[in-house]
Amino acid sequence: MKRIPVLIDCDPGVDDAAALLLANQIPELDIQAVTTVAGNVEVEQTTVNAQKIRSLINGTFPIYRGAEKPMVRTLVTAPEFHGADGLGGVFLEMPQESMPTEKAWDAIYRIAKAYDGELTLITLGPLTNIGIALAKYRELPALLKRIVMMGGAAVGGNVTPAAEFNIYVDPEAADMVFCCGVPVVMCGLDVTMQAYLTPEETEEIGALGSPQARIFREIFQDSMKKCLAWGRKGVALHDPAAVLYAAYPDLFTAEKAGVRVETKGMLTVGKTVTDLYSDQKFEERNAFVLTDVDRAQFLKTIRMILARYGNQSDAAFG
Amino acid sequence: MKRIPIILDGDPGHDDAIAWVLANGSPCLDIRGITTVCGNQIIEKTTYNALRICTLLKLEVPVAMGRRKPLISEPIVVPNVHGESGLDGAHLPEPQIRLESEDAVTLLARLLTESEEPVTLVPTGPLTNIAALFLAHPELKPKVARISLMGGGVHHGNWTQAAEFNILVDPEAADVVFSAGVPIIMAGLDVTEKAMIFPEEMEQIRALGNPVALAVAQWLEFFYQFHKQLGYPGAPIHDAVAVAALICPEIMESSAFYVQVETTGDFCRGMTVADFRGKLGKKPNATVLMDIDRQAFVEWLIKTIAAYGEGKA
Repeated sequence: MKRIPVLIDCDPGVDDAAALLLANQIPELDIQAVTTVAGNVEVEQTTVNAQKIRSLINGTFPIYRGAEKPMVRTLVTAPEFHGADGLGGVFLEMPQESMPTEKAWDAIYRIAKAYDGELTLITLGPLTNIGIALAKYRELPALLKRIVMMGGAAVGGNVTPAAEFNIYVDPEAADMVFCCGVPVVMCGLDVTMQAYLTPEETEEIGALGSPQARIFREIFQDSMKKCLAWGRKGVALHDPAAVLYAAYPDLFTAEKAGVRVETKGMLTVGKTVTDLYSDQKFEERNAFVLTDVDRAQFLKTIRMILARYGNQSDAAFG
Repeated sequence: MKRIPIILDGDPGHDDAIAWVLANGSPCLDIRGITTVCGNQIIEKTTYNALRICTLLKLEVPVAMGRRKPLISEPIVVPNVHGESGLDGAHLPEPQIRLESEDAVTLLARLLTESEEPVTLVPTGPLTNIAALFLAHPELKPKVARISLMGGGVHHGNWTQAAEFNILVDPEAADVVFSAGVPIIMAGLDVTEKAMIFPEEMEQIRALGNPVALAVAQWLEFFYQFHKQLGYPGAPIHDAVAVAALICPEIMESSAFYVQVETTGDFCRGMTVADFRGKLGKKPNATVLMDIDRQAFVEWLIKTIAAYGEGKA
């Protein structure tokens, strides 16, 4: 099997943690590194969380710490959803290990160069690290195959009526990414709100038995309660959707579109403006917007991936 | 039958003209007056068109002219959509109706004051006059039953990716109107792009044979040419939906949302921002029309226009 080299930039975050649990058991994906960024919680915590998850899954990928604040703005976090610790209060051993000193954006560039145009970036948080990498390394776009981004929405928002959280936190970085010339797959709320997990389905996954599957169930307990209280059917698997797209694009419907990010509107700052449904088109069709997912097949795939932890309880795939 | 008192406010404009034909042809509505606004064309042209339409329809109500510009921004006129006159395509009679000497806003205020019951406003252009009315006469808000407007779109725009033309031309005015506390029925692109007339239906209208039907068929044909270039299979009669919403709401689907207007931004100025997920915890201020039974809409339109040849209108 030809494996896809990927670098995952994230801000764990309960759904980031779930995405890492999944990515590690997808044989099609070859995780070169994980980089962390401030977003759902502060970067110290997202980095610790990435380390904890890596330890839980016996991951062998390196972790590089990234930006502690957005490129231009002050940081906005979401502890009310992800918990003060960013992992919904679930206890995980803190591994005693030293962090590499290389910064996230330098690691992104180095690894992209090593793969010479084959690396896929999967971004699950605000796009600050990628924005800084683009700012520092002018030839970076030519070295990336594509960027699969959890972020944005063609319609609506979740932090404001018009903006999704990851884009809202660092809209300037997000617009740099959309404009950088690398094809961007926007896995936004249009599709991730359809990729939800009900309480029953969460229990089914917990019952798979492995410690990893149990943690997958546990980290969603608090956020599940909030989602149900909001009248939703379950918790949206935002970040897992982006990871699954990178490996199994056929689960999704993607439409080519032009996308830019509003960085100035009073009500709309952080909105991903697409030309999907409007007469007026952008000059560049720079993105693919995911508009639909086969939810049944998506969940089946997730159960299948997590079941692998039961089969090989002490060694991560690859 | 008790008729609904309305005031038409628009920038005719092919779809404004058709909306007015339908409003005048409907036995349910009582048109108290007409005010013009600059939008599709400059104010002199939209006003001249309004007078010509009234003459064609033998509609004798007071007509007053609005200001030359939106509240703050410069006008945007669109001869590529509506022609140099703002209403190209049909030969219309010269106006036999005198323009009122008072301003549009003064006429609006007078009609509202004189009315015993609250009046429904039907703006089908930029919201400049309605905003000016609310700013100058806040005490008259209770005399406005509701506003059934064509403008905006909660999913997308047309003149920009995010903004629909009427709102984009005067976003500040739209902001004033959406914040006014007066109930709004919003016929935005979400529904109006579905209110489409196909070429064979234009022929059906032409075949009705009466002078109003002939003018409508010619307007539709002209309006269709622009939309054909964009890949539409017909001509969307945006403004007519704001009128239809008062007469046959049962052929439409709607959702109640809290809607705000973005007045700033590189890409989003003029966007109607709906709070789909209730993030702001505000009570809905607009009934947003989302879908329409196109077949029923066309049948209603044809029936109403046919009545002009039967001496009913």
